Amino acid sequence: MKYSYIKPRKKTPFTPDVQLIITFFTITIIMLLGTYLFLLFKNYSFSNERVEFIESRLTLEKSIEDMDAKIAYIKKQKALSEKIFTQNMVLKDSIANLFDLVPERITLSRAELLKNGLILYGITPNKDVYNFMLQAPLRSIFQKTYTSFYPAENGWLHFVSTNYINEDEGEELDRED
Amino acid sequence: MFAKMFEALYFKVLINIVVKRASTVVYIELYSKKKTIDTVHKEFETTKFNEDMLEFITNYTKESPYYYISLLDISSLQGALPTCSKNRLGYYYDLSDCEYRCYEGRWTYYTSKTELYDIEKKYKAIGVDFIFSPFVLLAKFFQDKINGTLAIYALIQENSISLCVFEEGSLIYADHLEIQASFSSDDILLSNDMDEDLELDLDSGIDLESIDVESEESELEDFGNIEDLDSIEDLDEFDDSKDIEEELLESNVSLEEAGDESFNEDYQRFTLIQNSIANFYKDERYESQFLENIYIADGVDVSSDLKKYLEEEMFLNVYVRHMELDAEVCEITKEELNI
Repeated sequence: MKYSYIKPRKKTPFTPDVQLIITFFTITIIMLLGTYLFLLFKNYSFSNERVEFIESRLTLEKSIEDMDAKIAYIKKQKALSEKIFTQNMVLKDSIANLFDLVPERITLSRAELLKNGLILYGITPNKDVYNFMLQAPLRSIFQKTYTSFYPAENGWLHFVSTNYINEDEGEELDRED
Repeated sequence: MFAKMFEALYFKVLINIVVKRASTVVYIELYSKKKTIDTVHKEFETTKFNEDMLEFITNYTKESPYYYISLLDISSLQGALPTCSKNRLGYYYDLSDCEYRCYEGRWTYYTSKTELYDIEKKYKAIGVDFIFSPFVLLAKFFQDKINGTLAIYALIQENSISLCVFEEGSLIYADHLEIQASFSSDDILLSNDMDEDLELDLDSGIDLESIDVESEESELEDFGNIEDLDSIEDLDEFDDSKDIEEELLESNVSLEEAGDESFNEDYQRFTLIQNSIANFYKDERYESQFLENIYIADGVDVSSDLKKYLEEEMFLNVYVRHMELDAEVCEITKEELNI
């Protein structure tokens, strides 16, 4: 204020029009910034979720693998149990057949079932009874039959009958099983 | 910092209002980066602030937030004093009800506080940023002259004369003179009638007793007191004191021939100047020095009569420079704003 009696009014570039424009732009920028921050946050959140999902998927995949392994093991167990059951059934039938095979006059004292053979211990009145009534059916089943006799106290004969199936046939039978 | 940055982006609208006797001049300058883009000048046939003026000014003020409204002070109670010392101001004038400013630490200009409030009230619809004293306008206009030898400087407006006496940049004396309302055409007719009556009286003879000789003598005494006039050597200096440079400038500007109306006004102006100078010589507060030159800042297109009166009646070397008041107010506004 060099020459004037009064001080000039303070001038501001922020006229109502400029204020309106600035307000508009400020709101727009705030909205854009807000949207950007929201997207940034969502992106971060999604990234985290993605990592979590990946981890979860890996866990689940591992779990599935474990379960598959368990299923496979159970299946094997089942198959094994079925096989054992079948074998047992076969064995049962075999034993039943064996006992059906043994005539009334021969008495078995012991029987050993082998993988590919059968060992029978018993007592027979004589060799003929044994040969005709027991050995004949045994030969029809087993390829190799060896029998040994030794006398009992009462005049009868103790016998040990060792019977084998051919190994190849036995293996084939196993495979078929 | 932001405000400065924004300020550089906008152009400035400088609105300068000069109130004349029966009209108001609004001069608008659009200013940007050290150059004027556009100027608009409009005169409203009213001294009051009306709707047309408001609309005209508002059209420009809404162009930029950096608009400045400047007014030339038309207060009747204004003046200037030859000191800046607060202790000395009271010796010249009671400034208790005045607003005053010191001009470059050399002299003081003042105006009535009440009139300033009135101006602010009158223009409250648009507001006022600057109010300038005509004395400042005069000092700025004759910047190249006031630092020279002793001379009278007068700013002539339609309804006032701001008169200063400067010597080597120091104000010696100042007076603000109000011009009474001009004579209407009816008054001129009446005065013509009076002349006729006078002629009739002349025919019948002159009553010498009715002429008041004493009053004229007292005026002459004022000039008689000046010792300088008694020296013939000093009389020779009259020719040396002429401002040849200003005369050359003036020779390109021809003053209008006087019309009836301007004759009366110019005579009134002359009378006011004469009385004020007489007062300067008489007043003991001011150091009387013989005045040889008068520089007139002509804001109203004065006629050649005024110059003639001053030259013939007061033996002054008269130099008249035309002044566009509104443009000068604008220049001071720029200076005030440092642009």
